[in-house]
Amino acid sequence: MSYLAPLFLFGAAAVALPILFHLIRRSSRERIPFSSLMFLSPSPPRVTRRSRLENIFLLFLRCLILCLLAVGFARPFLRKPIVAAPEPKTTRQVILLLDTSASMRRQNLWASVRAKAEEHLNKVSPSDRVAVFAFDRQVRTLVSFEQWSTMGIGERVSLTAQRLTELAPSWSNTHLGHALTTAAEAFEELPQEDGFGQRQIVLITDLQEGSHLDGLQGYEWPRGVELLIEPVKARKTSNAGLQLVQDYEESLQSTNEFGPRVRVTNSSDAKREEFKVRWEAISESAPVELYVPPGQSRTVPAPALAAGVAGDRLVLQGDDDEFDNTVFYVPPKAEEIAVLYLGNEPETDPAQPLYYLKRAFPKTRRQIVQLLVRRADAALTPGDITGAHLIIVADPLSEQPLRAAQQSLAAGKTALLVMKTAAAAQTVSQLTGAAPTPAEEVTSERYAMFGEIKFDHPLFAPFADPRFSDFTKIHFWKHRRIDSNRLPGARVLARFDSGNPALLEIPVGKGTLLVLTSGWHPADSQLALSSKFVPLLYSILEQGGALRSQRSQFAIGDEVLLARTNNASSLTVRRPDGVEAQPAQGSSFTQTDLPGVYTLPAAQPPFSFAVNLDAAESRTAPLAMEELERLGLPLKKDVPKQTARQIEQKRQHLLASELENQQRLWRWFIFAAFAVLLLETFVAARVTRRAVAPTDA
Amino acid sequence: MRPVEHARQVSQQRNSEVDAASFIDPQALMAIRNLELRARVVVEGFWNGIHRSPYHGFSVEFTEYRQYSPGDDPRYLDWRLYARTDRYYIRKFEDETNLRCHLLVDNSRSMSYGSLPYTKAHYANTLAATLAYFLYLQGDAVGLITFDAQIQEYLPARHRTGHLRHLMLALEKPPSGTATDLTLPLKRAAEVLKKKGLLILITDMLAPISALEKNLTLLTASGHEVEVFQTLDPSEEKFSFAKAVVFHDVESGRDLYVEPTAVRKQYLQKLQIHNAAAKAICRKLGIGYSSISTGQPLELALFDFLRERMHRGKKIKRADRPEARK
Repeated sequence: MSYLAPLFLFGAAAVALPILFHLIRRSSRERIPFSSLMFLSPSPPRVTRRSRLENIFLLFLRCLILCLLAVGFARPFLRKPIVAAPEPKTTRQVILLLDTSASMRRQNLWASVRAKAEEHLNKVSPSDRVAVFAFDRQVRTLVSFEQWSTMGIGERVSLTAQRLTELAPSWSNTHLGHALTTAAEAFEELPQEDGFGQRQIVLITDLQEGSHLDGLQGYEWPRGVELLIEPVKARKTSNAGLQLVQDYEESLQSTNEFGPRVRVTNSSDAKREEFKVRWEAISESAPVELYVPPGQSRTVPAPALAAGVAGDRLVLQGDDDEFDNTVFYVPPKAEEIAVLYLGNEPETDPAQPLYYLKRAFPKTRRQIVQLLVRRADAALTPGDITGAHLIIVADPLSEQPLRAAQQSLAAGKTALLVMKTAAAAQTVSQLTGAAPTPAEEVTSERYAMFGEIKFDHPLFAPFADPRFSDFTKIHFWKHRRIDSNRLPGARVLARFDSGNPALLEIPVGKGTLLVLTSGWHPADSQLALSSKFVPLLYSILEQGGALRSQRSQFAIGDEVLLARTNNASSLTVRRPDGVEAQPAQGSSFTQTDLPGVYTLPAAQPPFSFAVNLDAAESRTAPLAMEELERLGLPLKKDVPKQTARQIEQKRQHLLASELENQQRLWRWFIFAAFAVLLLETFVAARVTRRAVAPTDA
Repeated sequence: MRPVEHARQVSQQRNSEVDAASFIDPQALMAIRNLELRARVVVEGFWNGIHRSPYHGFSVEFTEYRQYSPGDDPRYLDWRLYARTDRYYIRKFEDETNLRCHLLVDNSRSMSYGSLPYTKAHYANTLAATLAYFLYLQGDAVGLITFDAQIQEYLPARHRTGHLRHLMLALEKPPSGTATDLTLPLKRAAEVLKKKGLLILITDMLAPISALEKNLTLLTASGHEVEVFQTLDPSEEKFSFAKAVVFHDVESGRDLYVEPTAVRKQYLQKLQIHNAAAKAICRKLGIGYSSISTGQPLELALFDFLRERMHRGKKIKRADRPEARK
């Protein structure tokens, strides 16, 4: 008989106790009073031969109980060969998930990643199925399960290793959450086959703090997929990153005059704290020195530059890793927008629309709006009409301006016609080329207001939010009724509460004519004084293509929307490596995978933008494993290496516990112990009764 | 002194192997609840036993005549002699009645032990009562001191109506004391009892006797005559236990596991040494000492007392000691 827990057998040594108690029989329970103990001396406990002979059966029973308990607790079992269940086929499905983010450019990391990947590849058995994914911002499949299956068994590892050598870290940031969910879902897409029991994702990464884990929030990790993290560590941990501090575009102070601000972020496990920031390739500018404790960041203005000198990149010096030490800088440029106003009123008359229009376009960093005021009845120069992004018509046009406006409308520009009087209806029909449409003055005693607005139209889309959609505070004293049905293609964007059109959109050629049936000057309405006036004008400018996205700073992988008004040839982008690229579709440029300055050489005016590393990528301190566990990832602990003997011992122990579990002999021993306990109670009761009986007599 | 003479006769009878059956069985005696009655039974049986009326001989004993001088109590004038001789003579008596006797009864908790149906305290109280009654009948003043570690009850020696009853009541109180300690009570007794007299100490003497000699000396030096009755239970004397049990000390509350067969010899030896030492001290100081087992009839104790008194009368001349006489 063998024992699973032989240490419990030492419990049998407790039989010594009843034996001892039997030998030392002192009827200590009986007490008699005595006058004085002064002549008595204590008697030592005696071990008498007589007492050993007494109750020998009781003693035996008590010892037996203890022995049975000890054996029962020692979990006895009989050794016999058990029929081993057939060994399951040890086939696995493994996804090697390699981090190729920019932080892997540090020192030895990429070599470590490849070494670890190859180590895992060498461990796979021929029946295993392996896929290799690389991830940074995106997940790329290097070797899919299908490709692995189609490869010859002998060359699978070597071919995959070959592909690994072609792989290099990118400049993108780390979207770890997205990569893990993609990999976990890759298992789900596989056909369910028997024998592919174990599913494992081997993640080889530097596990940096800056990894984006958003995808894992609330993601239910599929059952049976385990995650083994193989972290790689850099030899030197100091890493500081340099980022540009974005200025608000609305701020009036242009950074052109003062230069940009930069933020230096030090990683929390950094050993170095002193850094310098300087302009690259500009020797006369003195570097800025700064002190950043580990885990903190400091924001400083970039070194001052002499007038007329422009720098395009700032460099951080003093840390171990170079990959995030350069930021490229393109100073933002204000766009010049020309608005042509055709009206006969003086600029200084507060009773006229022009007075308010001039004050609606302040100079900002984003754009400078030039308002060209021309008389409606005077001739226009060609430059006036071609340079204008928007034409506002306030008075009936004479022959020459009318033609110019018609031409520019046909060319795709936008014009806004303000009907100050009912006579302006004629200009509407002239501009649209439609039949003469009469208009009449509406002067009700009660003021009018916007009753119906099409918020789904781009013009009113900025006001769609319920916080901004209240136009009822704008009172219109006067407006002109015009029949929109007579105007071909006309669309009513806003109506007064009386049902009369307030703002009409009429397509003319490629362009658009907007007709406001009232004016914004005080005689007509409160529109100019309301908070909606300026946004509405900008909305019109934007709809006309005059306002373009003018961001000059982007992060790696960002989509850059190039201006829509540029023609196809000017959409060619020159990348920092000199390659010319076209936007994939429309004006959206997505090939921003290199940090540097991208230029559109053919654009007029010249346009360039800078692409920099994502700030999060500079946070290279290792992420706490608890963070991953908190997100519900089933982390497989890397078990310590065991010796063959330990493994064999463990196997034997498992076998023994299996046998013991089958036989469950301990139950019988415990049962027997209880039975003997009952017998002992009975015998002891009898012995006691017999001992008491004579004294009673 | 007549009773003493009677006692002498009884003692002689006892010496000549008196049948113990002629005495009252102590167990039967103790069954009488009234202490006074018990004492009376013993004393009157005692008198009956010696076939002498106890009411005889209790008279003043004439010693001499003395010429009257002014200031003498005219009551004591012998008028008959005056009639014969025409001179005033005063009769002088040996004053027997002014024997002051104090009973010192040990009331400690060890006295509450008894292997017989009654305890040592019962026995001792009965003995004290008997002696008191006996002495009272003789016309002596009897007082009482009960003690444990210190004096509990003190009744001064008096001979008046009702005093005996007070004394009996005091004796009937159950033993409530704690440990036996002779030192303090004896010292206190020596302080309290200024007038010389007889002290009868009834105790089991189960206490260390180291200071006993000193305290008894204190008493004898004060001019007291001292008699000691040591009452012991038969089981204390013989240690006749068989089973090994835990012995519980009624005084100290201490428990002791004892195997009687193993310790009996040693116990008896120690007890004997203790008693012998006590006896030796008493002999040295001229103190009467008698050891009584509670199984013995009380009359024997009375005999012992009287014999001791006679014995002493021979050995120690009280007249030799001027302070013994008034």
